[in-house]
Amino acid sequence: MIAQFILSALLLGIALYARIEYRRAPAIGLLSMLLALTGLYFVWIPAHATRLAEFVGIGRGVDLILYLWVVISLIVLLNLHLKLRAQMEVITVLVRELAIANARSAATSK
Amino acid sequence: MPDEYVWVVIAAYNEARVIERVIADVRHCGFSAVLVDDGSSDATAEVAERVGAVVVRHPVNLGQGAALQTGIEFALRKGADVIVTFDADGQHRATDIAGLVDALARHSVDYALGSRFLGGATDLPPVRRRLLKAATWFTRITSGLSLTDTHNGLRAMTRRGASAIRLRQNRMAHASEFLYQIAASELKYVEVPVTIEYSAYSLAKGQKLGDALSILVDLLARRLHR
Repeated sequence: MIAQFILSALLLGIALYARIEYRRAPAIGLLSMLLALTGLYFVWIPAHATRLAEFVGIGRGVDLILYLWVVISLIVLLNLHLKLRAQMEVITVLVRELAIANARSAATSK
Repeated sequence: MPDEYVWVVIAAYNEARVIERVIADVRHCGFSAVLVDDGSSDATAEVAERVGAVVVRHPVNLGQGAALQTGIEFALRKGADVIVTFDADGQHRATDIAGLVDALARHSVDYALGSRFLGGATDLPPVRRRLLKAATWFTRITSGLSLTDTHNGLRAMTRRGASAIRLRQNRMAHASEFLYQIAASELKYVEVPVTIEYSAYSLAKGQKLGDALSILVDLLARRLHR
């Protein structure tokens, strides 16, 4: 039961993260939310997790939840990558404005 | 159209060896040139300034796409009616620029895109030819544009055409992004034969097979966030 509460808190954290990220990266937000809710469902109804795990050939429901966790981690990693890219775009705009403001030619240098 | 309204944008990174001739050729043809020095560590900017280009210098290296967008924005702010993008490594012919600029008016289009497969490509290695053909096929499928050469840096655009372009791919994926934005703008375009003169220098500077994968990743990542 303790593990269920801890996992639920973590998954709710992921769901909140997904909600926040949805505006910036809809694909990441939707996918994270879907996985977090699926994880929550299986944490509280593990029998269904076991049944689904057997159906897809994983073996145990606990393993299925662990796999979901790995997938969520990878999505978070991807999102961090996208955030870095977005940050680079902001830096680019800044560098561009600086560069244009300081344009030089032989005529202006004299 | 008076020449002062045509600006040639040249993005360069460590091209001090060849940039003098490139700028001199463009200036000799009567066009204004803006060299965007993308954080070079050699004398590219100094040489370009000496031979008559306006130099816009990125304090850090951002990539060719970012440099081209900087040059386009600079030219727009200078009141350019026509903007031409031109490679810094000496593989383009300055004499092709007039043909591109004329094509804009003659066909009443906003983009005149250079094609080496309609014109000519000297000393193009077979591997590079196959890579370019594959890239053309991919970009035709994904952009819906009917082109023979999708990764040619020699192109001209009207002021309206340039205003519709906002490159956010800093590195090599900008060539595909350029075409996606042309398609999205729904403005007209035409292909114009141009000649690319490959040299050992330009081939060493050009894209490699491995770059294709990072371009694909960049294009995919751009679609995942706003």
